[in-house]
Amino acid sequence: MSSDTVSLVPSPVVSANGIFKSFGGVPALVDVSIDLIPGEVHCLAGENGCGKSTLIKIISGVERPDSGEILIDGVSHSHINANAAIKSGIQVIYQDFSLFPNLTVAENIVLTAEVARRRRLYSPASVRPKAEEILRDLGLDLDLDREVSELSVADKQLTAICRALVNDARAIIMDEPTTALTHSEVSRLFALVERLRARGVALMFVSHKLEEVLAISQRLTIMRSGRQIVTGPTTDFDERSISHYMTGREVDESRVVSELDATAPLALELVDLSLAGAYRNISFGLRRGEILGVTGLLGSGRTEIAESLFGVTPADEGQIKVNGAPVRIRSIQDAVSAGIGYVPEDRLSQGLFLEKSIADNIVASSLRSHRTRWGTLSRDAIASTIKHYFHGLKINARNAQAPVRTLSGGNAQRVVLAKWLATSPTVLLLNGPTVGVDVGSKQEILELLRVEAAKGMSVIVISDDAPELVSSCHRVLVIKQGRLTHILEGDEITVDTIQERMSA
Amino acid sequence: MSPDTKVRNGASGASALLPRVNDQLESWTQRLVRGSGAHRGAGRMVVALLIAFALFTALNPRVFLSPINLQNIAVAAPEIGIISIAMMLVMLTGGIDLSLVAIANFSAITISMLHNTIAASDPALANSLGIVIVLAGIVVGMLGGAVNGFLVSVVGITPILATLATMQIYNGMAIVWTGGTTLYGAPQLLATIGQTAVANAPLLFIIFLAVAVLIAILVNRTALGRMIQLEGANPVAARYSAIPRRAVLMKTYTYGGMLAGLAGVLFLARNPTASADYGASYVLLVIVIAVLGGTNPTGGFASVTGVVLATLTLQVVSSGFTAIRLSSYEYAIAQGVILIAVMILDAVSSTRARRQKKVASAPRSDVPTPETALPRA
Amino acid sequence: MDVIRRLRGSNNEGVLALVLVGFIVAMSIANPTFFTLNTGFSILRSSIVPVIFALGVLIVVVTGGIDVSFAAIAIFAGYATVSFCLNMGFDPGILGIFAIAVGVGSLLGLINGIVIARFNLPTLIVTLGTQGVFFGAMYTYVGAQYYAELPGSMAALATSNLLDVTTSAGRAYLHVLVVPVLLLCVLVAWVLKRTMFGRSLYAIGGDIEAARRAGFLVKRTQVWVYVMVGALAAVAGIVHIVLSRSANPRDLVGGELDIIAAVVLGGASIFGGRGSVIGTVLGVLLVQVIKNSLLLVGVPSAWLRTAVGILLVLGVGIQAVAARRDSRQKRVIDEVDAEQKHEEKVES
Repeated sequence: MSSDTVSLVPSPVVSANGIFKSFGGVPALVDVSIDLIPGEVHCLAGENGCGKSTLIKIISGVERPDSGEILIDGVSHSHINANAAIKSGIQVIYQDFSLFPNLTVAENIVLTAEVARRRRLYSPASVRPKAEEILRDLGLDLDLDREVSELSVADKQLTAICRALVNDARAIIMDEPTTALTHSEVSRLFALVERLRARGVALMFVSHKLEEVLAISQRLTIMRSGRQIVTGPTTDFDERSISHYMTGREVDESRVVSELDATAPLALELVDLSLAGAYRNISFGLRRGEILGVTGLLGSGRTEIAESLFGVTPADEGQIKVNGAPVRIRSIQDAVSAGIGYVPEDRLSQGLFLEKSIADNIVASSLRSHRTRWGTLSRDAIASTIKHYFHGLKINARNAQAPVRTLSGGNAQRVVLAKWLATSPTVLLLNGPTVGVDVGSKQEILELLRVEAAKGMSVIVISDDAPELVSSCHRVLVIKQGRLTHILEGDEITVDTIQERMSA
Repeated sequence: MSPDTKVRNGASGASALLPRVNDQLESWTQRLVRGSGAHRGAGRMVVALLIAFALFTALNPRVFLSPINLQNIAVAAPEIGIISIAMMLVMLTGGIDLSLVAIANFSAITISMLHNTIAASDPALANSLGIVIVLAGIVVGMLGGAVNGFLVSVVGITPILATLATMQIYNGMAIVWTGGTTLYGAPQLLATIGQTAVANAPLLFIIFLAVAVLIAILVNRTALGRMIQLEGANPVAARYSAIPRRAVLMKTYTYGGMLAGLAGVLFLARNPTASADYGASYVLLVIVIAVLGGTNPTGGFASVTGVVLATLTLQVVSSGFTAIRLSSYEYAIAQGVILIAVMILDAVSSTRARRQKKVASAPRSDVPTPETALPRA
Repeated sequence: MDVIRRLRGSNNEGVLALVLVGFIVAMSIANPTFFTLNTGFSILRSSIVPVIFALGVLIVVVTGGIDVSFAAIAIFAGYATVSFCLNMGFDPGILGIFAIAVGVGSLLGLINGIVIARFNLPTLIVTLGTQGVFFGAMYTYVGAQYYAELPGSMAALATSNLLDVTTSAGRAYLHVLVVPVLLLCVLVAWVLKRTMFGRSLYAIGGDIEAARRAGFLVKRTQVWVYVMVGALAAVAGIVHIVLSRSANPRDLVGGELDIIAAVVLGGASIFGGRGSVIGTVLGVLLVQVIKNSLLLVGVPSAWLRTAVGILLVLGVGIQAVAARRDSRQKRVIDEVDAEQKHEEKVES
C-alpha cells in the first residue's frame, strides 16, 4: 500500500461497472457504477430501499448482477462469489456485525482468517499475537479475553473492524456503522476510519445521515430508487443538496403545529423520575393533545425514559401521573392499563409479528376490549376495528390477511401505530417513528400523529431527526447525559437549535 | 421406549355402525376443514387420511374394515388425540411438553388409587363418589401442568428441559406410588363411559370431538388463544404488545396438564388399569401427530382440525399395520419415517414458496430489508 | 477477581466441582461406608457409559442442537454387532468389534446429520423420529433375543480390571475401560479446543448466520457432528454390553434424560455455544454420586428417576434465575454512572 507515494489517483481495488439487477422483472439497480479507490472513503447515501443493500451484496459476491461487470484490480468478472470477494480482500462489516457472542474478542478477530487459510488446528497461543498486533496497529484498547456478549455495541463494532483487517482487507464496506453508536463513539470510529484511509484501505461507508456523510467521505454517490443520481467529490455537496438528491425534493423546515390550548389538562406528568445509570430527576408535563419531542444523542437516556414510562425498565424513584392520578408502572401491562402505548424503535423484532397477518397485528394489544359477553372474541368488533385502521391509516396491502412480513417499512410502521391506536391510549410514545421509512410515508405518519393529537391523544416523539421534530412538535425536550437540560418552545424549535443543544 | 403391550378392547360391544360412523366422520371433517379456512395441515391430513384408509382397505379389507377394527380406531384415538391437542397447544407458544404422558398416567393412577382405597372399605361409596374421584384425577393433571407452567414462565427454564425433568419427576413419583406394579380398578362410571355409544359413535370419541371443538374455540375465538399464538409467533413483540407472558404460559401449560389429566381418565375408561409406564411410546407419537397436523414446532401456528385428522390417520395406520400383521416396532418405524418425511416436505415446499415470493415481492422499492432493522445489543 | 473468575471456569465448572466435593464430604460424614474405595470405584464404573454418551451430547449441544436418538443408536450398533458376530460365529477381536459398531453407529448418525443439515429441521423432533426408526428397525430386522454369552474377546474384556485393591471393606475393582474413556475425554477436549473443527462448533452454536458469513462450512460440520455422536454412541453401546456381560436389546433406551441432565448441569447451554468436557464429566459424576448416595442412605431405587428430575430442575433453574439477574444488571451504563457521580461531586 504505497498510496502516499502515488500522486495520481491510484487504480481502484474494486469497481462495479454498469450494474443492472432486477427482481422478478422489476429493476432494483439500474446502470450503477462505483469505484473503491485505495485511501479514499466513498460514501454511499440514499434512503432506505434505494438499492444500497443490493449493491453491497453484488460487490461482496452475495448476489449476482443481471448485467454489468465487477472489476477487481482491473480484472473483469461478470460476477464473483462470496469467497472470492473475501480472498480479494473485500470485507463487509454488517450492521449486525456478525460476531460470535460466546467467543472471546481474540477469537472473533482471528477465527475467520484461520478459516480462510483452511487451517485444521487452532492454537490460542499462536493466534493471539495477530490479534494484539491489529489492536496495536489501530491504537485500540480492547480486552482480548472478554467474551463479545459482554461488550458494548461500540466495542463490538471495533472487534468487527479488527476482524476485517486481520483478513488483509483492502476494501472495507461498512453498512450503516453508526446506527447504534453514541456521539463520542462515532468520533472514535471516524478517527479509526481516517487511520485506515491513511494506510491505503479503500472504504465504502453506507449511511443516510447527512452530517456523517459530509464529515467522513471524500467522494459521494447518492442513489434513489435503484438509480445512481450523482457521484462526485464530497466538497461539492452540502446538507441541503444531499437531501435534495436523496429525496428528490427540498428539505422542509416548516412547522405544521396546531395551536395548543394552554388550559388543556395535563395528560402525563413526571416528577423527579430517576433510574440509576440511565437518567436522573426528569420532570415534565404533557398536555392533552400535545405533541412533545424528546431528543438527545444515543445513550443520553432518551430511550430509557420512554422505556421506563412503558414499564420495560421501571424507574427507581419519582412519580408518574396520568390524567392527574399517580400510577405505579412496574411492567408493560401496568403502563398499558394506565393508558400508555409505545411504538418501539426496533419495529421488526419488538413491534411486529412478521409472520402473522396485518389483522392479527392490529388487534394484538387490544384483544381484551374485543370480547363478547361470554368472554370469547367478537368477530364483528374485531372486523370493524381492523377495517377502521386498515383503511384509516391507508395501509397499502392487498388485504388485511397478508402477513406483515410482506410490507414496506412505512406500511409496517402504520400497522404498529394501528395496534396502539386500537387501545385508545391517553399517551402514545413513539421511538424513532420514521426510522427506515421512506420520505412520503414519513410525512403521512407525522400527519397521522397530528390528527390523533387533535382528537385529544397526547404524543411523545423520541427522535434524533431534527427536521421531524421541527415539523411536528409543540415543544422539544433535550436530554443530555441522563438529565433534562433544555426545553425548547415555539420559535426556538429549529433544526439548528436542536442539533446544537443536543451535542453542546 | 417400550411398546404398549396392553390389549385394549373396551368397545367390542358395538356392532355394525361403521358405515354411519364413517359418514359422520366425513361430513364432520369436511365441515371443519371448510370452517377453519382449510388450514394447510388440515387439508393435507384429509388427503392422508383417505389414502391411509384406502390403502389398508385394499391390503386387507376383511380385517381392516371389520366392525371391531373400526370401533377400536374410534375408541383408541381419543386418548392419543387429546394428548396431541395438549401438545399442540403448548407448541403453539413455541414450547414443548414432554411430561404430558407422565401426567396422564399420574392422573389415571390417582383415580385408580383413590377408587381402590375407598372401595376397600365401601365399594358402593367408591362408585357413588365416581365423579369426584375422576375430577381429582383431572385436578392432579392441572397441578402437574401448573408446575410446568411455573418452571417455564416464572423460573424461566427452557420448556424442553423443564418438561424433560418433570416428566422424570412425575414418572418417578408414579413408580414409587404404585411400587412399579399395574393397578386394577376404576370407578364404574368410567367403565360406563368407555362402553357407551351415542348414535353408534362411541362416547369416548364424542368426548374427543367435544374437547377438540372447545380447544379450537379457545385458540381462535378467545383473547387467551390469540395471545398464545402471538407469544409463539414472536415473544419479544408479544412482550412489547403488553401480552402477559407469564400468565399466558402458565395458563397454557395448565390447560395442557388438564387435557393430559383428562386423557388419563380416558385410559381408565378404556381399560380399568393404570401403571406408571403405560404409553411410553406416546411421547413420540403425540409430537408426530401435532407436527403432522400442521403445528409449527417453533410456535405461532397450529390447527386443531389438522391435529384431529392426524390423530385419526395415525390410528388408521396403526390398526392397518395390525391388520396386515406388522408389529408395533414396525409402527414405530412408520411414525418416525412419516414425521421426518412430512417435515422434509414442509421444508422443501416452504423454501420453494419463499423463493417465489422473493421474486414476486422484491421489485417493490421498499421491501423490508435488513437495512430497516435496527439491531440493538 | 481474575483468580476467582478463572477458578469458577467459563461454564461454572468450579462451582460444580465445589458442589460435587461438598456432596461427597457431606455424604461421607452422614454415612462413613460411603467414603470407601469400593464406592469410589463403583461410581467410576457406573460413569463409564454415561460419560461416553455425554461427550456425544456435549458436541451436539455446543452447536445448538440436541440429539435424543443416541441411546437407540448405541443399542442398535452394539446389539447388531454382537448379534452378527455370534450368528456368524466369528470373533474379530475387541478392536474389530468396536470398529464394526462404530461403522454402524456413524452410519445411523449420518442419517440424522443429513436430514437435519440438508433440510434445516428442528433437531429434537428429527432425532425423536429417528430414535423410533432405529429402535423399531433393530427389533424388526436385527432381532429381539437376549444374548447371555458374548463373543470371546468381549467376555475377556468384561473381566479385566485395571486395579484390584483389597481394603478393609473388601476387594475393590477398577475396570480397565476407565482408561480408554479417559483418553476419549482428552481427545474430545482437544478437538473442541484445539482444532478449527472444534472452534467451528462453538461458532455455529454462537451465531449460525455469522458462522456462514465467516466461511465455515456449516452444513458439512453439522453432518459431521451427528456422525461423531453416532460413533461415540456406538462405542458406548459396546462398552455397555461388555460391562453388563450380556446383550439385551431393551437396555439403554429410556435413559437419555440422565445424560442430557448431566450435560446441562455440566454447564453446557441448550441454546448452543457453551459447554466443556470437564464440566460434562463433572456433571455425569454428580448425577452418579447422587444416585449412589441415595441408594446408600436407603432411598428406594424407584425415587432415583425423580431425584434426577429434581436435580435438573434445580441446576437449570438456578442458572436461569442467575442469567436473568445478570441481564438486569447489564442495563446499568457505567459511563453515565461515573459522569453522574462526578457531577455530584462538583455540585457539592
